Amino acid sequence: MEIKVKKKLSENILEKISIDFLRNQVLKNAYGNDDTVIAKLDPRILLVWYLFVGLVPWFVNDLWFLMACFLLVLVTTKLARVAGLVLLLFAVGVFTQTGYLLIVSLFFGGNASTVMPLLILTLKVATCSLASITVFSGLDPDRLSNGLMWFGCPERLSFSISYAYRVLPMLMEEFQNILLSYRMRGNPPEHETFTGKVKYLFYQVKVIIHAFYPLMLNTAKRSRTTVEALEIKGYRYAAVNKAVKKMKLSTLKVTYNDLLFLAVSFLWIALSILASVIF
Amino acid sequence: MNIIEIENLTYSYPAAKSPILKDISLQVEEGDFLAVVGNNGCGKSTFCKTLNGLIPHFITGDFEGKVMVGGLNTQESDVGTLACKAGYVYQDFENQIVRPTVLDDASYACLNYAMEDYRERGLEALSLCGLQNREEDYIWQLSGGQTHLLALAGAVSLRPDILILDEPIAQLDPGHADKIYGVLKDLNEKQGKTIIVIEHHTEYIADYCKHVMLMKDGKIVWKLPTDEALRRVDELKECNIFPPQVTIAAHRMKTEGRLPQEQPLPTTVREGKEAFQALKYKASSASKRSEGGQSEPVVSFRDVSIAYRSVKGDDRMVFDRLNLEIRRGEKIALIGSNGAGKSTLMKLMVGLLKPSEGDIILDGENIRKKKTENLSQKVSLVYQNPEEMFIKDSIKADISYAMQVRHVENYQERTQKLLERFRLTELQERDGRLLSGGQMRRASLAIGIALNPGILLLDEPTANLDIATRKEIMQTLSDMKDITETVMIATHDMQLVCEWAERILVLNQGKVVADGTRDEIFGNQAVVETVGIRPPEIFSMGQALNEKALCYTVDEFMQSFVEA
Repeated sequence: MEIKVKKKLSENILEKISIDFLRNQVLKNAYGNDDTVIAKLDPRILLVWYLFVGLVPWFVNDLWFLMACFLLVLVTTKLARVAGLVLLLFAVGVFTQTGYLLIVSLFFGGNASTVMPLLILTLKVATCSLASITVFSGLDPDRLSNGLMWFGCPERLSFSISYAYRVLPMLMEEFQNILLSYRMRGNPPEHETFTGKVKYLFYQVKVIIHAFYPLMLNTAKRSRTTVEALEIKGYRYAAVNKAVKKMKLSTLKVTYNDLLFLAVSFLWIALSILASVIF
Repeated sequence: MNIIEIENLTYSYPAAKSPILKDISLQVEEGDFLAVVGNNGCGKSTFCKTLNGLIPHFITGDFEGKVMVGGLNTQESDVGTLACKAGYVYQDFENQIVRPTVLDDASYACLNYAMEDYRERGLEALSLCGLQNREEDYIWQLSGGQTHLLALAGAVSLRPDILILDEPIAQLDPGHADKIYGVLKDLNEKQGKTIIVIEHHTEYIADYCKHVMLMKDGKIVWKLPTDEALRRVDELKECNIFPPQVTIAAHRMKTEGRLPQEQPLPTTVREGKEAFQALKYKASSASKRSEGGQSEPVVSFRDVSIAYRSVKGDDRMVFDRLNLEIRRGEKIALIGSNGAGKSTLMKLMVGLLKPSEGDIILDGENIRKKKTENLSQKVSLVYQNPEEMFIKDSIKADISYAMQVRHVENYQERTQKLLERFRLTELQERDGRLLSGGQMRRASLAIGIALNPGILLLDEPTANLDIATRKEIMQTLSDMKDITETVMIATHDMQLVCEWAERILVLNQGKVVADGTRDEIFGNQAVVETVGIRPPEIFSMGQALNEKALCYTVDEFMQSFVEA
């Protein structure tokens, strides 16, 4: 059993989850879903909504309310068509945080009094994570950064968010090519036996670490042009010019759909509170 | 009216010992289309950066003299004001694009300078640069040529009177290159923009530019009308600039007394038709044949299909049931436009990509079951971008790495031999990234053949190089013919194809549309037109004079056309 898992792990790192796959998922996550209901919402509305479902559950212990919040974010995550990798990470994250405790306590004779607090904690963690996923991966980075800017976040932060998404695919491609160089020229240890597999796993990790050095240097070489181009394109001027900020934000508009979204969420939460009062 | 006036400009980079620009004085008229030519490192790019104020405002250093651009003194204006006067497109233009979508990037500068109509300006610039209907696209959906047009649009959106482009077509296939120059010509003629290009391709200079400025060691040697400039063959060659092949041929004929002395040298095929009209075509029997019968296949593609994951919608099919055979000892050139699948084909052969369907047979074995690291003894790939091959901190370590980890006997000795062969011995301790373009290429070739592979694959070995370095690499490739067995080169460089290849494969939209010798490919008008191949100029010249003429080099041309 253990050998099998090890085998899987060692093969997966470079082969199954290739950088190409990661790059594709990152792009998909950022821009692949710009035609969903969530992506079309006004980022400010969504941020306010996030502030509520991302924060309030931490301070409430009512199961009805938490359940309702959880279901709500489940629906919005579905609507946002989040990339598979992110959902997987979410599932693994929640499970390792609290989920496993829940299952363990059930197995070892836990009753309602032990399960309940754990269930509540799990729900809280899951709700907040899903709410974050909805907002940060449902919105494309540009709309998100415009929304943040409206709430007074510095221009530099919002530029960094969208620029990071601009360079990330490029960086990952470069990283992939460097790793491919290692694969073509390197000579990894035989991995037919168990010890071989462990060695192979270490080898792969080592290669990934080594690959960062050329990646950094190549990136430094590229960024010289980018820095000059930003200067020409007036990036520095915009940062101190209030008029530019106003122009950027003028594209934001609250529509009927936004209000509908808020209303439905509000109604749903209100119903849950009602339910918890009645029962 | 002069739009650029420079008086006694001398500039040196911070901490540099000697100035890179020395006492430059120049006037450029409004509406000019000026080509700047010169050796590597003669200060062309530095000169261009003084025009848009990056020097001295962003890059400091010792600046003397006066630069007036569109009536503004660059020392007294800031970069923002100057950006609206002179737009700049870098050689590595993809790093100049900072926004994720097309329209966003085109209008970004206007937005930053708080222009109310930034959207309209972006749209206008996109349509001027031939990118209409791509406004909402993400930048990674664009091809290399389109990315360049977007970088240009980003500069055009500020409506500058001057546009400066650093080697606009160095990375592009001929189809895209023609498109870029078409757009520049439009901007010059219809919009009245003054255009300055740093350019090595003299054929393009002859076709499009009005004036040529030659720089040497930080000084301007002369600025002349294009025709006159390109006729100064000896002076240009001295600076490693190669005039159009037509001009070189005529120049040589003149020296040999085969053309009348008073006749001006032609610079384009059109002029050449007149200049060479007295010559007669003499069919030569010395056409190159691939000798020997059919050797055994070393690589076979059998019904190979592969698709790329796309961000949205269906996967993009690159190959759909591709069948192909490569025989031992062949020297193959793989041509086709950007995105035709050349790199994919090579990555499949080294096992970096696995086909979704079909088999690739290497030396009688299916590579699906083989590990990439075991294939590298047999097949080796040299990337288009040599930087990605440098994984160690010196080229010596890079060259020896593959041998060292495989415990090849006397690997140190072999490394020294390789360093010597590629004239890198002096540079062996340097980091590959810090070498010049030509040196980097040579180092990447040495890395590629370190394990003595039977098959060597080269992805665009001459891209991004100036003509002199290109010639040098072409020479290296010819020299390598005897130590490598089977070689495949993916390239846009038709001179390389004609002078080097014995078999040419033409890829178009994932299919091999033509396969044969150069006579079979370039002699076939239908193929040349559908795929958009641009044969070397001297070949077109021969064709224009006589349809039967198939000459690929200046030498062949000189032999094929004789006095009547």
